[in-house]
Amino acid sequence: MVHITPHNAPLPRLLLISSGKEAPLIGTPLLIQLQLLPRFMPCMIQIREKHLDAKQLFQLSLMAAEIACEKEVRILINERADIALAAALHGVHLPENSCPPDKLRAIAPELIIGCSVHSPLSACIAEERGADYLLFGPVFDTPSKRKYGPPQGVEKLGALCRSTSLPVFAVGGITPQNIPCCMKQGAYGAAGISIFEPGSGFVATFEQFHNTLYQ
Amino acid sequence: MPSSPFLCVITDEAVCPLSLAEKALQGGAAMIQLRHKTASGSQLFSWGVEITRRCREYGALCIINDRIDIALACRADGVHLGQQDLPASAARKLLGNSRIIGVSASSPEEAIQAERDGADYIGFGHIYPTPSKEKGFDPVGPESLRRVAALISLPIIAIGGITKSNASLVIGHGAAGIAVISAVSRADDPVSAVQELVCSLQQGDIDG
Repeated sequence: MVHITPHNAPLPRLLLISSGKEAPLIGTPLLIQLQLLPRFMPCMIQIREKHLDAKQLFQLSLMAAEIACEKEVRILINERADIALAAALHGVHLPENSCPPDKLRAIAPELIIGCSVHSPLSACIAEERGADYLLFGPVFDTPSKRKYGPPQGVEKLGALCRSTSLPVFAVGGITPQNIPCCMKQGAYGAAGISIFEPGSGFVATFEQFHNTLYQ
Repeated sequence: MPSSPFLCVITDEAVCPLSLAEKALQGGAAMIQLRHKTASGSQLFSWGVEITRRCREYGALCIINDRIDIALACRADGVHLGQQDLPASAARKLLGNSRIIGVSASSPEEAIQAERDGADYIGFGHIYPTPSKEKGFDPVGPESLRRVAALISLPIIAIGGITKSNASLVIGHGAAGIAVISAVSRADDPVSAVQELVCSLQQGDIDG
Protein backbone atom coordinates (compact mmCIF):
# COMPACT_ATOMS: atom_id res chain seq x y z
CA MET A 1 0.00 0.00 0.00
CA VAL A 2 1.28 3.43 -0.88
CA HIS A 3 0.71 6.19 1.64
CA ILE A 4 -0.07 9.70 0.53
CA THR A 5 1.40 12.95 1.82
CA PRO A 6 -0.66 16.10 2.52
CA HIS A 7 0.40 17.19 -0.98
CA ASN A 8 -1.37 14.19 -2.50
CA ALA A 9 1.92 12.67 -3.60
CA PRO A 10 3.05 9.19 -2.60
CA LEU A 11 5.15 9.19 0.57
CA PRO A 12 8.70 8.13 -0.40
CA ARG A 13 9.96 4.87 1.17
CA LEU A 14 13.48 6.10 1.84
CA LEU A 15 14.35 8.59 4.58
CA LEU A 16 17.83 10.04 4.96
CA ILE A 17 18.63 11.75 8.25
CA SER A 18 21.36 14.38 8.23
CA SER A 19 24.65 13.65 9.94
CA GLY A 20 24.46 16.22 12.73
CA LYS A 21 27.81 17.50 11.49
CA GLU A 22 26.77 20.56 9.51
CA ALA A 23 29.14 23.48 9.80
CA PRO A 24 27.25 26.79 10.18
CA LEU A 25 27.00 28.80 6.94
CA ILE A 26 28.91 26.28 4.84
CA GLY A 27 26.25 23.61 4.81
CA THR A 28 28.19 20.46 4.06
CA PRO A 29 27.57 17.49 4.07
CA LEU A 30 23.78 17.85 3.67
CA LEU A 31 24.09 19.97 0.55
CA ILE A 32 26.54 17.49 -0.97
CA GLN A 33 24.08 14.66 -0.32
CA LEU A 34 21.34 16.68 -1.99
CA GLN A 35 23.49 17.43 -5.01
CA LEU A 36 24.40 13.74 -5.35
CA LEU A 37 20.82 12.48 -5.19
CA PRO A 38 19.77 10.69 -8.37
CA ARG A 39 17.05 12.71 -10.06
CA PHE A 40 14.11 10.38 -10.36
CA MET A 41 14.38 8.43 -7.15
CA PRO A 42 12.00 9.80 -4.54
CA CYS A 43 13.21 10.14 -0.97
CA MET A 44 12.86 12.29 2.13
CA ILE A 45 15.69 14.01 3.94
CA GLN A 46 15.37 15.09 7.54
CA ILE A 47 17.56 18.00 8.62
CA ARG A 48 18.59 17.09 12.14
CA GLU A 49 21.32 19.42 13.34
CA LYS A 50 20.65 20.03 16.98
CA HIS A 51 23.79 22.12 17.52
CA LEU A 52 22.69 24.84 15.06
CA ASP A 53 20.58 27.80 16.20
CA ALA A 54 17.35 28.78 14.47
CA LYS A 55 19.00 31.36 12.23
CA GLN A 56 21.61 28.88 10.99
CA LEU A 57 18.94 26.19 10.49
CA PHE A 58 16.86 28.64 8.49
CA GLN A 59 19.82 29.53 6.23
CA LEU A 60 20.71 25.85 5.77
CA SER A 61 17.05 25.05 4.99
CA LEU A 62 16.86 27.76 2.34
CA MET A 63 20.00 26.47 0.64
CA ALA A 64 18.76 22.86 0.82
CA ALA A 65 15.33 23.77 -0.57
CA GLU A 66 16.95 25.52 -3.51
CA ILE A 67 19.00 22.47 -4.50
CA ALA A 68 16.09 20.11 -3.86
CA CYS A 69 13.56 21.80 -6.10
CA GLU A 70 14.95 19.98 -9.15
CA LYS A 71 14.65 16.53 -7.56
CA GLU A 72 12.03 14.24 -6.14
CA VAL A 73 13.11 14.87 -2.58
CA ARG A 74 10.95 16.00 0.32
CA ILE A 75 12.90 17.97 2.90
CA LEU A 76 11.82 17.81 6.51
CA ILE A 77 13.33 19.47 9.55
CA ASN A 78 13.59 18.09 13.04
CA GLU A 79 11.05 19.59 15.44
CA ARG A 80 11.00 23.19 14.15
CA ALA A 81 7.73 23.53 12.24
CA ASP A 82 8.28 27.30 12.16
CA ILE A 83 11.54 26.90 10.22
CA ALA A 84 9.84 24.38 7.90
CA LEU A 85 7.18 26.99 7.12
CA ALA A 86 9.58 29.93 6.85
CA ALA A 87 11.87 28.08 4.42
CA ALA A 88 8.98 26.39 2.55
CA LEU A 89 10.19 22.88 3.38
CA HIS A 90 7.89 19.89 2.94
CA GLY A 91 7.60 18.77 6.50
CA VAL A 92 8.67 18.42 10.09
CA HIS A 93 9.87 15.40 12.04
CA LEU A 94 8.92 15.38 15.69
CA PRO A 95 10.88 13.73 18.50
CA GLU A 96 8.65 12.00 21.04
CA ASN A 97 8.40 14.95 23.45
CA SER A 98 7.53 17.63 20.87
CA CYS A 99 4.59 19.96 20.51
CA PRO A 100 1.64 17.61 19.72
CA PRO A 101 1.26 16.92 15.95
CA ASP A 102 -2.42 17.92 15.89
CA LYS A 103 -1.53 21.36 17.27
CA LEU A 104 1.07 21.78 14.51
CA ARG A 105 -1.30 20.46 11.86
CA ALA A 106 -3.74 23.20 12.88
CA ILE A 107 -1.17 25.89 12.06
CA ALA A 108 0.55 24.08 9.17
CA PRO A 109 -1.91 21.88 7.27
CA GLU A 110 0.45 21.48 4.28
CA LEU A 111 3.37 19.98 6.18
CA ILE A 112 4.23 16.29 6.23
CA ILE A 113 4.40 15.48 9.95
CA GLY A 114 6.44 12.48 11.07
CA CYS A 115 6.85 11.23 14.63
CA SER A 116 9.56 9.22 16.33
CA VAL A 117 7.95 6.50 18.43
CA HIS A 118 9.42 3.92 20.77
CA SER A 119 6.37 1.83 21.69
CA PRO A 120 2.95 0.77 20.32
CA LEU A 121 1.39 3.18 22.84
CA SER A 122 3.25 6.22 21.51
CA ALA A 123 2.47 5.02 17.95
CA CYS A 124 -1.20 4.95 18.86
CA ILE A 125 -1.05 8.50 20.31
CA ALA A 126 0.82 9.83 17.26
CA GLU A 127 -1.74 8.24 14.92
CA GLU A 128 -4.65 9.67 16.90
CA ARG A 129 -3.02 13.09 16.69
CA GLY A 130 -2.74 12.96 12.94
CA ALA A 131 0.89 12.05 12.18
CA ASP A 132 1.63 11.12 8.54
CA TYR A 133 4.32 8.53 9.30
CA LEU A 134 6.21 6.98 12.19
CA LEU A 135 9.92 6.36 12.71
CA PHE A 136 10.89 3.41 14.90
CA GLY A 137 14.28 2.24 16.10
CA PRO A 138 17.00 1.40 16.58
CA VAL A 139 15.97 -1.88 14.99
CA PHE A 140 19.53 -3.22 14.65
CA ASP A 141 22.79 -2.49 16.42
CA THR A 142 24.26 0.88 15.53
CA PRO A 143 27.28 2.56 17.17
CA SER A 144 25.56 5.92 17.65
CA LYS A 145 22.72 4.43 19.72
CA ARG A 146 24.69 1.92 21.83
CA LYS A 147 24.64 4.25 24.83
CA TYR A 148 20.84 3.81 25.02
CA GLY A 149 21.05 0.03 25.42
CA PRO A 150 20.43 -2.93 23.10
CA PRO A 151 18.54 -2.44 19.80
CA GLN A 152 14.76 -2.97 19.69
CA GLY A 153 14.93 -5.88 17.22
CA VAL A 154 12.69 -6.94 14.34
CA GLU A 155 10.00 -8.52 16.53
CA LYS A 156 9.28 -5.20 18.22
CA LEU A 157 9.29 -3.53 14.81
CA GLY A 158 6.64 -6.05 13.73
CA ALA A 159 4.54 -5.46 16.85
CA LEU A 160 4.73 -1.72 16.28
CA CYS A 161 3.76 -2.00 12.61
CA ARG A 162 0.74 -4.15 13.55
CA SER A 163 -0.35 -1.59 16.18
CA THR A 164 -0.84 1.22 13.66
CA SER A 165 -2.20 1.88 10.20
CA LEU A 166 0.43 4.57 9.60
CA PRO A 167 3.51 3.90 7.46
CA VAL A 168 6.46 2.95 9.69
CA PHE A 169 10.09 3.65 8.80
CA ALA A 170 12.70 1.39 10.38
CA VAL A 171 15.89 3.11 11.55
CA GLY A 172 19.11 1.97 13.19
CA GLY A 173 21.60 -0.30 11.45
CA ILE A 174 19.44 -0.61 8.33
CA THR A 175 21.22 -1.94 5.21
CA PRO A 176 19.94 -3.05 1.80
CA GLN A 177 20.48 -6.63 3.08
CA ASN A 178 18.15 -6.36 6.08
CA ILE A 179 15.47 -4.18 4.47
CA PRO A 180 13.45 -7.22 3.21
CA CYS A 181 13.32 -8.54 6.77
CA CYS A 182 11.97 -5.13 8.01
CA MET A 183 9.38 -4.99 5.24
CA LYS A 184 8.26 -8.52 6.06
CA GLN A 185 7.51 -7.19 9.55
CA GLY A 186 5.30 -4.51 8.03
CA ALA A 187 7.72 -1.58 7.66
CA TYR A 188 6.80 0.86 4.90
CA GLY A 189 10.26 2.28 4.49
CA ALA A 190 13.78 2.58 5.80
CA ALA A 191 15.84 5.39 7.29
CA GLY A 192 19.57 5.84 7.66
CA ILE A 193 22.12 8.31 8.95
CA SER A 194 25.75 7.18 8.90
CA ILE A 195 25.39 4.78 5.95
CA PHE A 196 24.52 7.82 3.81
CA GLU A 197 27.50 9.93 4.77
CA PRO A 198 28.62 11.51 1.52
CA GLY A 199 31.64 9.81 0.07
CA SER A 200 32.57 7.74 -2.92
CA GLY A 201 29.86 5.15 -2.24
CA PHE A 202 26.92 7.48 -1.65
CA VAL A 203 25.12 7.11 -4.97
CA ALA A 204 25.62 3.32 -5.09
CA THR A 205 24.32 2.92 -1.53
CA PHE A 206 21.36 5.17 -2.25
CA GLU A 207 20.46 3.21 -5.38
CA GLN A 208 20.76 -0.11 -3.56
CA PHE A 209 18.39 1.11 -0.84
CA HIS A 210 16.04 2.47 -3.42
CA ASN A 211 15.96 -0.67 -5.53
CA THR A 212 15.37 -2.88 -2.50
CA LEU A 213 12.56 -0.67 -1.17
CA TYR A 214 10.79 -0.33 -4.51
CA GLN A 215 11.25 -3.78 -5.98
CA MET B 1 1.58 47.11 23.28
CA PRO B 2 0.80 48.97 26.52
CA SER B 3 0.83 52.75 26.20
CA SER B 4 2.29 53.66 29.60
CA PRO B 5 5.63 52.36 30.98
CA PHE B 6 5.25 48.67 31.63
CA LEU B 7 7.01 45.68 33.06
CA CYS B 8 7.85 42.49 31.17
CA VAL B 9 8.84 39.52 33.32
CA ILE B 10 10.94 36.87 31.57
CA THR B 11 10.85 33.35 32.98
CA ASP B 12 13.99 31.95 34.60
CA GLU B 13 15.15 28.40 33.78
CA ALA B 14 15.71 27.78 37.49
CA VAL B 15 12.09 28.50 38.46
CA CYS B 16 8.81 26.91 37.35
CA PRO B 17 7.48 29.24 34.60
CA LEU B 18 3.85 28.77 35.65
CA SER B 19 4.29 29.84 39.26
CA LEU B 20 6.61 32.69 38.27
CA ALA B 21 4.17 33.97 35.64
CA GLU B 22 1.31 33.77 38.13
CA LYS B 23 3.21 35.88 40.69
CA ALA B 24 4.30 38.35 38.03
CA LEU B 25 0.70 38.81 36.88
CA GLN B 26 -0.51 39.22 40.45
CA GLY B 27 2.08 41.95 40.96
CA GLY B 28 1.00 43.85 37.85
CA ALA B 29 3.33 42.78 35.03
CA ALA B 30 1.88 43.68 31.62
CA MET B 31 3.90 41.13 29.64
CA ILE B 32 5.24 37.66 30.34
CA GLN B 33 7.94 36.21 28.12
CA LEU B 34 8.19 32.42 28.25
CA ARG B 35 11.85 31.66 27.72
CA HIS B 36 13.22 28.19 28.35
CA LYS B 37 16.03 26.93 26.14
CA THR B 38 16.19 23.37 27.51
CA ALA B 39 12.50 22.43 27.88
CA SER B 40 10.94 20.00 25.39
CA GLY B 41 8.49 21.22 22.76
CA SER B 42 5.66 19.44 24.51
CA GLN B 43 6.52 21.13 27.82
CA LEU B 44 6.82 24.56 26.18
CA PHE B 45 3.48 24.09 24.47
CA SER B 46 1.63 23.23 27.66
CA TRP B 47 3.28 26.10 29.59
CA GLY B 48 2.46 28.42 26.69
CA VAL B 49 -1.21 27.45 26.69
CA GLU B 50 -1.53 27.99 30.43
CA ILE B 51 0.44 31.27 30.62
CA THR B 52 -1.48 32.66 27.63
CA ARG B 53 -4.76 31.80 29.37
CA ARG B 54 -3.69 33.49 32.61
CA CYS B 55 -2.36 36.55 30.74
CA ARG B 56 -5.74 36.98 29.00
CA GLU B 57 -7.47 36.92 32.39
CA TYR B 58 -5.17 39.65 33.67
CA GLY B 59 -5.24 41.68 30.46
CA ALA B 60 -1.51 41.05 29.98
CA LEU B 61 0.46 39.78 26.95
CA CYS B 62 2.15 36.39 26.60
CA ILE B 63 5.24 36.30 24.39
CA ILE B 64 7.16 33.11 23.50
CA ASN B 65 10.92 33.25 23.09
CA ASP B 66 12.34 31.93 19.77
CA ARG B 67 9.66 29.30 18.96
CA ILE B 68 7.17 30.77 16.47
CA ASP B 69 5.58 27.34 16.00
CA ILE B 70 4.87 27.09 19.72
CA ALA B 71 3.54 30.68 19.81
CA LEU B 72 1.13 29.89 16.96
CA ALA B 73 0.10 26.53 18.40
CA CYS B 74 -0.68 27.94 21.86
CA ARG B 75 -2.18 31.17 20.46
CA ALA B 76 0.19 33.39 22.39
CA ASP B 77 0.27 37.13 21.69
CA GLY B 78 3.64 37.02 19.98
CA VAL B 79 7.28 36.02 19.93
CA HIS B 80 10.58 37.43 21.07
CA LEU B 81 13.51 36.78 18.74
CA GLY B 82 17.20 36.96 19.56
CA GLN B 83 19.87 37.76 16.99
CA GLN B 84 20.44 33.98 16.55
CA ASP B 85 16.76 33.21 15.94
CA LEU B 86 14.66 33.43 12.78
CA PRO B 87 14.76 36.93 11.25
CA ALA B 88 11.75 39.12 12.06
CA SER B 89 10.91 39.41 8.35
CA ALA B 90 10.46 35.61 8.11
CA ALA B 91 8.58 35.54 11.41
CA ARG B 92 6.15 38.20 10.19
CA LYS B 93 5.07 36.04 7.26
CA LEU B 94 4.12 33.28 9.68
CA LEU B 95 2.55 35.43 12.37
CA GLY B 96 0.63 38.03 10.38
CA ASN B 97 0.11 41.58 11.54
CA SER B 98 -2.00 40.91 14.60
CA ARG B 99 0.76 39.21 16.57
CA ILE B 100 3.66 40.96 18.29
CA ILE B 101 7.28 40.43 17.24
CA GLY B 102 10.03 41.63 19.56
CA VAL B 103 13.71 41.54 18.62
CA SER B 104 16.75 41.70 20.89
CA ALA B 105 19.30 44.36 19.97
CA SER B 106 22.47 45.51 21.67
CA SER B 107 23.60 48.11 19.15
CA PRO B 108 22.01 50.90 17.08
CA GLU B 109 22.66 48.85 13.91
CA GLU B 110 20.75 45.84 15.22
CA ALA B 111 17.89 48.06 16.39
CA ILE B 112 17.59 49.76 12.99
CA GLN B 113 17.73 46.41 11.19
CA ALA B 114 14.98 45.01 13.44
CA GLU B 115 12.79 48.02 12.68
CA ARG B 116 13.36 47.49 8.93
CA ASP B 117 12.53 43.79 9.32
CA GLY B 118 9.13 44.69 10.73
CA ALA B 119 9.58 44.21 14.49
CA ASP B 120 6.96 45.67 16.84
CA TYR B 121 9.37 46.38 19.68
CA ILE B 122 13.06 46.19 20.46
CA GLY B 123 14.49 44.53 23.54
CA PHE B 124 17.59 46.67 24.12
CA GLY B 125 20.44 45.89 26.47
CA HIS B 126 21.96 44.87 28.59
CA ILE B 127 21.79 48.34 30.08
CA TYR B 128 23.55 47.52 33.38
CA PRO B 129 25.60 44.54 34.56
CA THR B 130 23.28 41.60 35.16
CA PRO B 131 23.60 38.49 37.29
CA SER B 132 21.16 36.52 35.08
CA LYS B 133 23.76 35.25 32.68
CA GLU B 134 27.29 35.83 31.50
CA LYS B 135 27.22 38.27 28.61
CA GLY B 136 29.95 38.42 26.03
CA PHE B 137 30.18 42.21 26.14
CA ASP B 138 30.03 45.19 28.51
CA PRO B 139 26.73 46.83 29.44
CA VAL B 140 25.59 49.37 26.85
CA GLY B 141 24.57 51.92 29.49
CA PRO B 142 21.58 54.28 29.67
CA GLU B 143 23.11 56.90 27.34
CA SER B 144 23.22 54.36 24.53
CA LEU B 145 19.53 53.67 25.19
CA ARG B 146 18.79 57.36 24.69
CA ARG B 147 20.66 57.40 21.36
CA VAL B 148 18.84 54.33 20.05
CA ALA B 149 15.48 55.71 21.17
CA ALA B 150 16.18 58.79 19.03
CA LEU B 151 17.07 56.66 16.00
CA ILE B 152 14.04 54.38 15.82
CA SER B 153 10.34 54.90 16.25
CA LEU B 154 9.60 51.47 17.76
CA PRO B 155 8.95 51.06 21.48
CA ILE B 156 12.05 49.90 23.35
CA ILE B 157 11.99 47.50 26.25
CA ALA B 158 15.17 48.01 28.24
CA ILE B 159 16.75 44.92 29.78
CA GLY B 160 19.71 44.04 31.93
CA GLY B 161 20.32 44.92 35.59
CA ILE B 162 17.20 47.03 35.93
CA THR B 163 15.96 47.48 39.50
CA LYS B 164 13.40 49.62 41.28
CA SER B 165 16.11 52.23 41.87
CA ASN B 166 17.12 52.74 38.22
CA ALA B 167 13.80 51.92 36.48
CA SER B 168 12.59 55.52 36.36
CA LEU B 169 15.91 56.69 34.93
CA VAL B 170 15.68 54.09 32.17
CA ILE B 171 12.16 55.28 31.30
CA GLY B 172 13.47 58.85 31.34
CA HIS B 173 16.05 57.76 28.74
CA GLY B 174 13.40 56.69 26.27
CA ALA B 175 12.38 53.14 27.15
CA ALA B 176 8.71 52.23 26.78
CA GLY B 177 9.08 49.46 29.28
CA ILE B 178 11.55 47.30 31.15
CA ALA B 179 12.20 43.57 31.21
CA VAL B 180 13.60 41.68 34.16
CA ILE B 181 14.50 38.09 34.98
CA SER B 182 16.39 37.65 38.24
CA ALA B 183 15.04 40.83 39.89
CA VAL B 184 11.75 38.94 40.15
CA SER B 185 12.63 35.22 39.92
CA ARG B 186 15.29 35.45 42.62
CA ALA B 187 13.43 37.85 44.91
CA ASP B 188 12.33 36.53 48.31
CA ASP B 189 8.86 37.82 47.55
CA PRO B 190 8.38 37.98 43.76
CA VAL B 191 4.90 39.55 43.97
CA SER B 192 6.20 42.50 46.03
CA ALA B 193 9.26 42.78 43.79
CA VAL B 194 6.96 43.14 40.77
CA GLN B 195 4.73 45.66 42.57
CA GLU B 196 7.75 47.79 43.49
CA LEU B 197 9.08 47.73 39.93
CA VAL B 198 5.68 48.69 38.49
CA CYS B 199 5.45 51.48 41.05
CA SER B 200 8.88 52.88 40.14
CA LEU B 201 7.93 52.77 36.44
CA GLN B 202 4.92 54.95 37.09
CA GLN B 203 7.22 57.31 38.98
CA GLY B 204 9.48 57.41 35.91
CA ASP B 205 6.52 58.32 33.75
CA ILE B 206 5.73 61.32 35.98
CA ASP B 207 9.42 62.37 36.08
CA GLY B 208 9.71 61.98 32.32
